[in-house]
Amino acid sequence: MSFVVARDLSRTFNLSDPWIVRKLTMRPKRLLKAVDAVNFEIERGTTYALVGESGSGKSTIANMVVGLLAPSAGSITIDGQNLGDASMSRQEQQRLRRRIQMVFQSPYASLNPRWRVGDILSEPMRAFKLIDGATAQRKRVAQLLEQVGLSDSDASKFPHEFSGGQRQRISIARALASQPEVIICDEPTSALDVSVQAQVLNLLKSLQKEFGLTYLFITHDLAVVSTMANKIGVLNQGVLVEEQDTEDLFTTPREDYTKMLLSSAPKIDFDS
Amino acid sequence: MRRFLNSDFFYAFTRSPLAIVSLLVVVLMVLSAILANFIAPTNPFDAASLNLMNGFTAPMEPNMFTGETFLLGTDDQGRDLFSAILFGLRVSLFVGVMAVGLAMVLGVLLGLIAGYLGGWLDTLIMRLADIQMTFPSILIAMLIFGVARGLLPAELREEMAITVLILSIGLSEWVTFARTVRGSTMVEKEKEYVSAARLIGLNPWQIMLRHILPNVLGPVLVIATITLALAIIAEATLSFLGVGAPRTEPSLGTLIRVGQDFLFSGEWWILLFPALTLLALALSVNLFGDWLRDTLNPRLR
Repeated sequence: MSFVVARDLSRTFNLSDPWIVRKLTMRPKRLLKAVDAVNFEIERGTTYALVGESGSGKSTIANMVVGLLAPSAGSITIDGQNLGDASMSRQEQQRLRRRIQMVFQSPYASLNPRWRVGDILSEPMRAFKLIDGATAQRKRVAQLLEQVGLSDSDASKFPHEFSGGQRQRISIARALASQPEVIICDEPTSALDVSVQAQVLNLLKSLQKEFGLTYLFITHDLAVVSTMANKIGVLNQGVLVEEQDTEDLFTTPREDYTKMLLSSAPKIDFDS
Repeated sequence: MRRFLNSDFFYAFTRSPLAIVSLLVVVLMVLSAILANFIAPTNPFDAASLNLMNGFTAPMEPNMFTGETFLLGTDDQGRDLFSAILFGLRVSLFVGVMAVGLAMVLGVLLGLIAGYLGGWLDTLIMRLADIQMTFPSILIAMLIFGVARGLLPAELREEMAITVLILSIGLSEWVTFARTVRGSTMVEKEKEYVSAARLIGLNPWQIMLRHILPNVLGPVLVIATITLALAIIAEATLSFLGVGAPRTEPSLGTLIRVGQDFLFSGEWWILLFPALTLLALALSVNLFGDWLRDTLNPRLR
């Protein structure tokens, strides 16, 4: 069985008015199906990308995979274990949580502005009881900062002292701090400018090689996908319309929607 | 410290005569309240040291029987008003600060819970706040004060009066804190650093206190300053109405109430000086609070 498996994953949001208003106006409930019976599998050590326009349900899927949002139906299993399993003890839950981490979209909102970088990075170590003792934690923080291309003196700074790209590196270091096996990247580069995007993507790639990480990449940017992903799933209005290996998708897209996405991506043509 | 001296905040402070003067007045009053034992020429509530012959001495005039002079005059029992004001200031400030502290802790906690957990708890807390907002807070304070007095045994009433006063003012002022904190909590909880904290399995309390609380405290300090002025005035009002500080431990409000009895018989100083002190204190705390608000967070206006 694959490492990450989504089975008939669905999520419905309830957008109805409060009960009393509904009864008075006699309007029915309003439900929004953000994700509708999505199936995909990710092999260990590979990168799977979900692409789609905004509102296609990409981020909803990301939130369900990491357990921030409960699926309305269907399931997500990671290495055969299900985060929504109510029979799991708190310890087992923590053990599974440690293996799944996330890198967020906004480099500004994803780091607590009142915390020093060192505290941000050592928090997962304390929460998962990975490393005991202040000195050992400080050492590990320095190591993490080096791994993402920052210096160990940055640990005593606050997030606002860094640029967007550097913050995203801190975000990646925080995800690495719990020694995860899967990292969900929710548009990790969409808030960065192009030159910095490439640096962050290269960092993610080299970390994948070094630690054998499995990535689920959420993005709307096909250029990002083409360099990162092994396999691509195309989402349209909560439905997975097409799934292919990266090269095949770019050369022989099957669905009209995918063709439209590919043709609408901006290209730089140097010959003309 | 150097970072503070170089900050925009400190620069704005040195540029505002209003802020400097009001802070100076507040600091002066706080100091003289704390050091009342040493500054006051007499202990106004040691009955043995009072001389009834000194009663109704006008300010800076020698008493016609004993020949003693008093800076601000004396009251009907020959008590030195200057000393009484210093000790009254101490009671007023103590009650005000403690009441604001209580209101702040209560309001911030309830606001965090309402904003972060949401659901029926949010509805319950905020509707309670709405109901309380429809009454003037002085009325709430009087209600709480009356209920507490009714519950307490008679012999404890005098002793517990100050505690009950703090409780009643504190409970009547928590709403502003709760509303502000709830609002900022609802903004903060949507940010991704909170998601990151949830991902590593922190429980809601850890997230609220460690992550969200430091990010919502800014406006709270401003509200606390402004509420302090309100609390001091509320205390004085309650004491003036005779439901606050007892005569054995008078606050500025009690002194004003006592002085009011003699206003129309010509002894104007017994009322005037405590009233002026209260005015100066409330006004400068208020002005400083307004300045803080405008400087730290112009959006709060």
